[in-house]
Amino acid sequence: MTTYTICVFTENSIGLLNKITIIFTRRRINIESLTVSETERKGISRFTIVIKHDKREEVEKLVRQIRKIVEVAAVFGYLNEDIVYNEIALYKISTPIDGKVIDVENINKVHKAWVVYWGLDYVVIEKTGTEREIFDFFKYIKPHGIIEFVRSGRVAVGKTPQGLIEYLPEEIAEWEYYL
Amino acid sequence: MGNLLEVEAKQETFAISLEQPQKKDFLSGAQAMMECLLAEGVDTIFGYPGGAIMPTYDALYDYIDRLNHILVRHEQGAGHAAQGYARVSGKTGVCLVTSGPGGTNLITPIADAIIDCTPLVCIVGQVKSTLLGTDAFQETDMIGVTTPVCKWNYQITSADEVPEIMAKAFYIAQTGKPGPVVIDFTRDAQANKMTEKFEYRKVNKLVTYRPRIVPKQDQIEKAAELINKAKRPYILFGHGVLIADAVQELLEFVEKTDMPCASTLLGLSAMPIDHPNYMGWLGMHGMYAPNVMTDQCDVLIAIGMRFDDRVTGDSTKFAKQAKIVHIEIDPSEIEKIKKTEAPVVGDAKEALKMLMPLVKKGDFTGWKNEFRKLDAREHQKVTLRDLKGEGKIKMAEVVAMLSDKTNGEACIVVDVGQHQMVAARYYQFRKPHSYIASGGLGTMGFAIPASFGAKMGAPHREVVGIIGDGCFQMTIQELGTIAQSGLAVKMIILNNNYLGMVRQWQQLFFDNRYSFVELKNPDFITIAKGFGIEGHTCSERETLSDSLDKMLKSDKAYLLEVLVEKEENVFPMVPAGTSVSEIRLE
Repeated sequence: MTTYTICVFTENSIGLLNKITIIFTRRRINIESLTVSETERKGISRFTIVIKHDKREEVEKLVRQIRKIVEVAAVFGYLNEDIVYNEIALYKISTPIDGKVIDVENINKVHKAWVVYWGLDYVVIEKTGTEREIFDFFKYIKPHGIIEFVRSGRVAVGKTPQGLIEYLPEEIAEWEYYL
Repeated sequence: MGNLLEVEAKQETFAISLEQPQKKDFLSGAQAMMECLLAEGVDTIFGYPGGAIMPTYDALYDYIDRLNHILVRHEQGAGHAAQGYARVSGKTGVCLVTSGPGGTNLITPIADAIIDCTPLVCIVGQVKSTLLGTDAFQETDMIGVTTPVCKWNYQITSADEVPEIMAKAFYIAQTGKPGPVVIDFTRDAQANKMTEKFEYRKVNKLVTYRPRIVPKQDQIEKAAELINKAKRPYILFGHGVLIADAVQELLEFVEKTDMPCASTLLGLSAMPIDHPNYMGWLGMHGMYAPNVMTDQCDVLIAIGMRFDDRVTGDSTKFAKQAKIVHIEIDPSEIEKIKKTEAPVVGDAKEALKMLMPLVKKGDFTGWKNEFRKLDAREHQKVTLRDLKGEGKIKMAEVVAMLSDKTNGEACIVVDVGQHQMVAARYYQFRKPHSYIASGGLGTMGFAIPASFGAKMGAPHREVVGIIGDGCFQMTIQELGTIAQSGLAVKMIILNNNYLGMVRQWQQLFFDNRYSFVELKNPDFITIAKGFGIEGHTCSERETLSDSLDKMLKSDKAYLLEVLVEKEENVFPMVPAGTSVSEIRLE
């Protein structure tokens, strides 16, 4: 199984998530993770969808089917080596008074993770990284007692020198920046 | 205070100078909808009223002189009628139904239209926007339900949205690869007044949706190079040729290159049957030579077709020796099924026009003769047997006789099953847009509504529905629509008291285990008469000719029931999932 990251640029309108995911459902392709937010262009959303598949041509067909949705402006499919990507995770770790002390320095320096909230008897640690890095840290911190854990979907940018905006229809490229 | 009054007075003058009507004079969403339909050149609507669409039906009352509304008996009938209308006329079919069951009854035609690329705009009523998501009376999530089966859908919740969305709806439905568009129209958006003057601007471009009409020159050149090198070329054309109105271009292309060509089921009638280069049609029950020769050609030129499994059989074995040129407007169809050496993304008409100056005439006499040799075999084994004229009447005899009597110029609307295949085999199509069938979805019950829809779309043509006894009972209520609208639709039931195609499969592949395929049918003619439609039954070969004459001479709707051989099988046949080389002639 190969991991593919599919980036979809769409109009930001109601129901699009359903229109896109239903294409995966119909072909029995499971979505490993999904992130959606508006881009720097007003009214344009970016979906980052991660799937695993053993046939490249099937993924190419999937990409073409997504492109067919009227509100979709562009779709790009990537292998991991084509992109810079990351996820973010939050770990709520129990820190009872008599418990094992959390080695914050090690967490910061070795694991590039940060304590972002101090509760009375717990802390919340934030870590960005690849799926593997996030799970490596999970293993490290587990003995302290994980009360809650959440991992986001992937965000990714291509390794090409151009921005994907350049591949979008001209009108969109001219749309104002959001901020 | 004085200043403020002055400002107000100025604004008033400003408003008057722009000739803006007072707010109370703005159109309601429902009236705006009617204006949109007129602006798009719509003259016919197929529909059925109900609670959530009542404001629109009320608006329609004032437009009766400009919009011809056909009241169907079930919403599925409205959808198939709109399909028949669109298929024969090339215009967009329009349906108007209510929310909930009205919308869900329309799902089958919508699914049928997306797979057979038929432009429809389906306006579906919806509960008030404040009631959305509350399980209100007759509320169904039509956007959710139709998303997988329509080209585009949109929920209108404000009257002001109507003109812009309808312009978009018609543009999307009829451009690129045509398809059904669903407009979910909330009751308040219908009833409320617009807050601005109605203005309709036709859409001819959308930012995120841009079907390629004119192909890229380099794709054309590559295709032309492959075509010119071919020793055993074979043109396969489909529905796309009819949709793109490329019948003339196809004819010129075929005649210039002198290559043999064949059609898919839905491509039927794009080429006159007696053209010397036309070899017939292929597919599961298609003709022998067109099927078998896919294994012999060196270059396959596919135009406006999508390598459906009913065309290819086992697609991994289909034409695997051939290099493929695929002319297709929908890029997602390229290499969906078959590896393609020369894809050409674009409209069939434009593509053929661009290819014309680049292609050469070849000498393919020997190659074409190979088709004809196989034809002789099929004629011997299948056609003669079908038309022998012994025993009970065969479906083929009825169709062949109808073809003679109508000179191959009628518009044939078929249902799904054995009669559909027999009609395709034995009707001698000489005019384009003459074989209207549910191809991709295989919807039984298609033909009665589609035939009166086709009659609306082509009032001056003879429209004949060829329908099985099983199919007829799926939408039998639409006889009421035909009677009420006074349309002179001719219908032939080929009655074998069986679900014939399923029975054939059970006989051939399920060891004669006839599981629920025999029908105890009603007296169809009495039923038709109950609806006010004339008809009679023909059970003897001697009276068949007179029976057909009687039907064709009638200037009103007419039902002819022909009692045919009960256990007749349709051949040739490529059993499902096998390669075309395993085609059976008996």
